[in-house]
Formats: sequence, C-alpha cells, structure tokens
Amino acid sequence: MSFGESCSATEGCITCGDTAIVLTVVSIDDADACCQDATGRTERVATELVGPVEIGDRLLVHAGVAIELLPHDGVPEA
Amino acid sequence: MRFVDEYRDPDLARALSAQIAALTEPGRHYKVMEVCGGHTHAIYRYGVHDLLPDNIELVHGPGCPVCVIPMGRVDDGIAIAEQPGVILTCFGDMMRVPGGRGSFLEANARGADIRMVYSPLDALRIARENPDRQVVFSAIGFETTAPSTALTVLRAEQEGVENFSVMCSHVTIIPAIKAILDSPDLRLDAFIGPGHVSTVIGCRPYEFIAREHGKPVVCAGFEPLDVLQSVHMIMRQLAESRCEVENQYGRVVRWDGNPLALKALSQVFELRPFFEWRGLGSIPQSALRFTAGYARFDAEQRFELPGVQVADPKACQCGEVLKGVLKPWECKVFGTACTPETPIGTCMVSSEGACAAYYNYGQYSRQRLDLQVL
Repeated sequence: MSFGESCSATEGCITCGDTAIVLTVVSIDDADACCQDATGRTERVATELVGPVEIGDRLLVHAGVAIELLPHDGVPEA
Repeated sequence: MRFVDEYRDPDLARALSAQIAALTEPGRHYKVMEVCGGHTHAIYRYGVHDLLPDNIELVHGPGCPVCVIPMGRVDDGIAIAEQPGVILTCFGDMMRVPGGRGSFLEANARGADIRMVYSPLDALRIARENPDRQVVFSAIGFETTAPSTALTVLRAEQEGVENFSVMCSHVTIIPAIKAILDSPDLRLDAFIGPGHVSTVIGCRPYEFIAREHGKPVVCAGFEPLDVLQSVHMIMRQLAESRCEVENQYGRVVRWDGNPLALKALSQVFELRPFFEWRGLGSIPQSALRFTAGYARFDAEQRFELPGVQVADPKACQCGEVLKGVLKPWECKVFGTACTPETPIGTCMVSSEGACAAYYNYGQYSRQRLDLQVL
C-alpha cells in the first residue's frame, strides 16, 4: 500500500493500522528528507529518530516519521 | 517489486504450508495468537489461514490501536473539540470510533472543528498556521506510533509553538500480552509478535513470555510468507520442545529496537499508573502520559475533561473478540447491526480490527483478494 492511500475506504487508515512503509530518500532538507515510494509518490519524512541519512537510503516510515533506516542488503545491524 | 514480491511467492507458500503440516502432532490442537492487527489484516486479506492445517488455530489479539480505545476517551476528545477556538486533529480511523456521544465524525457534523491528519507533524503544522486557535492532537497507537508523537512534541518545544497540545492515549503492548497470559479464558501455545512495534522496542521485551510462561514468540513481518514462516518457526519450536523469542522480521527489526526512538519516548512520556482498555479493563502501567518536563503539552491538563467511563453497548462483544475468546463471526451483531459502514464496536472500525478484516476478506467478502499464492 502507498501512503497516498493513507486512509482509503477499503484499506483503512495505515497510521491507525500500525502499518509502516518503505520509502527511498531522494533529497535531504535539514532534519527532513523527501522520500519516494515505488509508484513515484513523494512524501516529506522526519528523520531524527534514525540518525543521518543519505540519498538512496531506504527508510521504514510510519506517520511521516522514519522509525528505521534499512540496510541496502536487507539485513539490519545487530 | 523488490522486498515485496519475494514474500508473496506461491511456490514457497505451498512448500511452507506442507512443512508446517508435517510439524503438527496428530490429535493436538494448536492455538497461536497474532498480537498485531496488521497480521490479522494480512491473514484474512491473503487467506493465510486457508494454508494452515485444521488443527492450527490463529487467535486474534488486542494489537489494533483504535480497537482498544474505550468509549470514554472518545467522549473526552469530543469535549475538547467542542470548546471555543479548538481544532482537534486525529488519524483517519479515529474519526469513526463510536463513543457514548457519537463519533468524532458526528461531532464534526454538529459543528466541532475536527480534522483528519496523516501524521502528528501535520497537527503541528496546523498549529503553526493557526496561532489564534488551540490545536490538539488525539494521539493513539502502540510503540510504532508513539515515537512520532514524541518527536512532534520535541519539535513543538524547539520551535516554541505554544498553541499545540496532545491528548495522549498511546498504549504499550507488553502489559496487554501479560493481561492475556493471566486471563483464565484462553489457552495459547505461542505468539506471533508485532513486527512494527518490535522495530521500536526490539525483541528483548518478549523474553519473559518464553522464560516465565513457556511459550514461543516469533516477531514477524506482514507479507503472507512472513506470517507463514513465523508459524513454521513456532511449530518447529513446539516440535523440538523449545520456548524462545525468534526474529522472523530480521530485515527490519533489530534485537534491541531503535535506540533513538526509545530515547525520544522516554524523554517525553512515562507510564501511567493505570489505563482503561476496551475489552481488557484497567491494566497497570500500560499506557503513556507526559513526563513533568513536557506536561505543558498535555491536553488533559490544558482542558477540563469529563473523564467518565462509558460502558460498551450490551450487544457489542468486542471485549471477547479482543481477548481472542470469541471469533468475529460469533459476535451477536457481526455483519447485521454492526458493519464497517455502521460500526457498533471498535473491532469493526479499523481494517486492522478482527471484525472488519473478517468482514472485508472472509466469508462476508466484498473484495477478497485472491491470494495469488493459491
């Protein structure tokens, strides 16, 4: 599901549903990053809770806030 | 789509299904609780339960954020929204949760200014744009969502936004699991742990379930193969007489969680002595309130609230559904008086609620997705 359907009639509210989505950083603006999903939709995401990010990083995003920085190889650090 | 398609592979699903069946003991009935509403949604949406042997029963837990909000909290929110100059903001599903005086949506129709937001940061933006109004964010959710509220409060402090406050109804998952483990109504064999809550808190907090209660826990992702693999890991533990916490969602969840999110949480919030959960009653130290340092952002201190306990409608059996004692379709009003369009109970409001998930994708299907797995 895309954040563009954040509260659709069929899927419900993704924030209420504890759903987190994976977005890719396309640009950085201070503590926020402009992120994109697989369909090309973009969203401004707060990044303070994952530390510094770089363009191309994959973030797990919930309610407009990144809650995890995902490793490029799919395996997080211990 | 990378990181998605490989978790919906039909051949792998069939292979896992066969391996799970091979691990079951003939004549034994297994009850596995998926704690998180996101898993309940995935199970019904993709028909995962149809891939399990008849003697493995998936029991739906209390991990749907709006489902556990008692009616009195909705009334408290409406009381705030009805005060002059207030803008109340909340997430989408909260708009439809029934309270004793109706829902936020109905209060909005009566003239209150209640707005739906996607993020608490949107509520803070509304506060910046309306300096002459009091903007209140009605915060719900487990540890997945609470860090975003904490971060928003930290930003409000940093920016000196004084007309912003939060009515905090954030809850924590571990006390709810403890309440279920202590319930005499239910015998469970294992738990599928909540994936995104675990992103924040890690896997370590579940260790008491294995150590003290002798039940396996597997933290799982939300794709169909994630859920199937977590059931397989549980069944393997049971077959080998092991009780451990395992992490199936290793591509996202770290064992010790997210330290920056935990730090923000502990800076802004502390545990309430008690909090009323719908269906589970009052549970000690199961919800968050503001620490003294951030009390000025507490809407419960800024506004006078009725704080009245409101009993659920007699016909509603959400409590039993939330504890996993009743299946959704066993509720007396399921699919008749209570539907997603006109919910009586919270479990029918959110798509993560067991009743709504079953209604949408189960035998009352309006648009069940054919699990391409089958």
